Amino acid sequence: MNYRENDDERAFRLRVRKWLKANAPQDWRATTTTEEALGKLLRSWQRKLHQGGFVGLSWPEEFGGQGLTPTYEAILNDELGAADTPRISFHAYLGRAIFTYGTQAQKERFLPAMLRGDMQWCQGFSEPGAGSDLASLRTHAELRGDKYVVNGQKMWTSGAQHADWCVMLVRTNRDVPKHKGISCLLTPVTVPGVTIRPIKISDGSPETCEMFFDDVEIPIENRIGDEGAGWRIAMTVLSYERGPADIGFIAVLKSTLGRLEALARETGRGDDPEVRKALARAYVIGEALRLNVMEQLSQRVAGKPPGPDGSVARLLLTQAEQTVRRLELELAGADALTGRDPHGAVGAYLRSRTISIFGGTSEIQRNILATQVLGMPRG
Amino acid sequence: MRAVFTEEQEMLRVTARRIAERSRINTPGDIEKLDSDAVWQSIAAAGLLAMRVRDDGAPMSAGVDVMLVAEELAAALAPAPFISAILSTELLELAKAPRELIDEIAEGRARYGLALAPDLGALADVAALDDAVYFGGEGAGRALALKRDGAGFRVVVLRGEGATLAGADLTRTLRVGGLTPDGAGNGSLLSQADIDRWTALALSLVCADIVGALRDGLTDLVEYAKTRIQYDVPIGSFQAVQHMTAEMLVQTKAAASVTSYAAWSVDELEPDESLLAARTAKAYCAAAAVSVGEMLMQAYGGIGQTWEHVAHLRMRRALLDRGLFGDESRQLLRIADARMGAGA
Repeated sequence: MNYRENDDERAFRLRVRKWLKANAPQDWRATTTTEEALGKLLRSWQRKLHQGGFVGLSWPEEFGGQGLTPTYEAILNDELGAADTPRISFHAYLGRAIFTYGTQAQKERFLPAMLRGDMQWCQGFSEPGAGSDLASLRTHAELRGDKYVVNGQKMWTSGAQHADWCVMLVRTNRDVPKHKGISCLLTPVTVPGVTIRPIKISDGSPETCEMFFDDVEIPIENRIGDEGAGWRIAMTVLSYERGPADIGFIAVLKSTLGRLEALARETGRGDDPEVRKALARAYVIGEALRLNVMEQLSQRVAGKPPGPDGSVARLLLTQAEQTVRRLELELAGADALTGRDPHGAVGAYLRSRTISIFGGTSEIQRNILATQVLGMPRG
Repeated sequence: MRAVFTEEQEMLRVTARRIAERSRINTPGDIEKLDSDAVWQSIAAAGLLAMRVRDDGAPMSAGVDVMLVAEELAAALAPAPFISAILSTELLELAKAPRELIDEIAEGRARYGLALAPDLGALADVAALDDAVYFGGEGAGRALALKRDGAGFRVVVLRGEGATLAGADLTRTLRVGGLTPDGAGNGSLLSQADIDRWTALALSLVCADIVGALRDGLTDLVEYAKTRIQYDVPIGSFQAVQHMTAEMLVQTKAAASVTSYAAWSVDELEPDESLLAARTAKAYCAAAAVSVGEMLMQAYGGIGQTWEHVAHLRMRRALLDRGLFGDESRQLLRIADARMGAGA
């Protein structure tokens, strides 16, 4: 057991911190008020990070990565979160589909551009009728000659408004059990027949999208893996999807809690034992998350691929975020309800409710833990 | 950063588990039948009581190693007073007490309990022994207490038998009264930082006891849920039961994570940082003790409410652990003090 960063990790953290001081966009929240401006910023930010040598840290070197342990990704994300930079392209995990299941030609075509930030990606998995039950997806791809013709609708395609490409799951065979008739296609989102519409979430922000496919033609060489292999690819990809260490979440949680503690002190509510306990409880849950994530990261460094027990950290993350945001709402009091608090506590609170939904609801996470980790019989 | 157990630590876990299995308690009737002296001698013979003895100033084993042993013993609900023995040697080592005093505990020749304040929140002061509670050291007739001395503390040996209390935990005995100081103190003066470091270890080990008690409780429950048939199917196939066990797993895993860090911090961080880590662990584990303990009793249904069943034994052990050195409410207030400064 050792929780201390080694000399190389520590040096890397200091290098990131120094680089961010010189290169991180300043006041970007105030200056990017439109979705278009945000899209531009995210793209230029990823290019800058790539030039700085901070993209693809844990990817294999042969695909343009640096072959470092996932610890380095976690350190980078921790520093990005602490510096409150724009988010790093959160679809890097989609690259796993390509370098695990793609052909050499596909790897050469997509991976370097993906790392450079020249190709932004989104994920087209969920559908209106396929949420938790993803395998029941119905978007259909019919092979005609050397092209698939795709028709259907995708939901929750976050980042589609800024994306160039989409990794999508489609049904290529309706005559086999539902998990076996799915294939994985890569499609540019700018081709004829693709329509993207923003979906506003409860706080009013256009956080995610839906996509419509109307006779969209996708060349057969854009299929990843064999026809019918889509489900296995999706499961690999999802196991790498936004873990708590991969999104700078812990750093943001820490700075938010620090702000709430300061606010409580300033307003005098920090003398109330109930408020003090609530703030301490939020700290404790954050620590439980941080330390559990460190163990899981260490296991990945030791060569164990991410597995179903990642749902433990996911549920802790959910609890930590929702606890802090509920507390923020309480501390902001009537000012939040009358729209006069500077940090928008109501919006942050409502946004925190999405975390127990996206990427697998808390109920699905518990199903996974019960059946796949504890080995309980399926109902 | 390698927050995983080493191969040596995994081997230590196996050794501890083997010893613990010999004293596994499955029902209240097992407690009296157990040859606890034989178990104690096997723990001593494996060198487990000497883990915190200093060799050239450094403990023979890290805090994490001791945590592993405590967790395994608790998982089997072993009645052995391991934690109080380890904490006795730790306290005497910090005070640089005479070698012989430490060695007789470390070699299993003498057993010492700890004198705790009536609220179980801290070590008792010799000035207030009337209602002090003696934790561990069964049949030893000896215990350690503190004596304030200016800005520091002295470790004082107490002697006497005391009367057994009908405490919540059936696997560990508590006593009260009848012990008196033997001498004015042993070794040198302990500073507040020494006490903080000791308290961090104490909290870590009590947390390990909670983690062990909950962990095997969940393991046994999962086996039961796979074989207990109602409505022609195993109850483990019902989502209500699945989600309860999943929640137990999350809390037990998180409890283990915070406990490992606290135990690591005892040897690796400054006393104030280590104490914060340990209070954090205890705040989490104490709440989990009740929450997971209640779910354990619930998921077993009617059989889980009976005297012969193990569920209440685990709940009782976790309840005492929750109170030892302060429950979550007390820890949260101290955490707030550490992070925000003292309140008004």
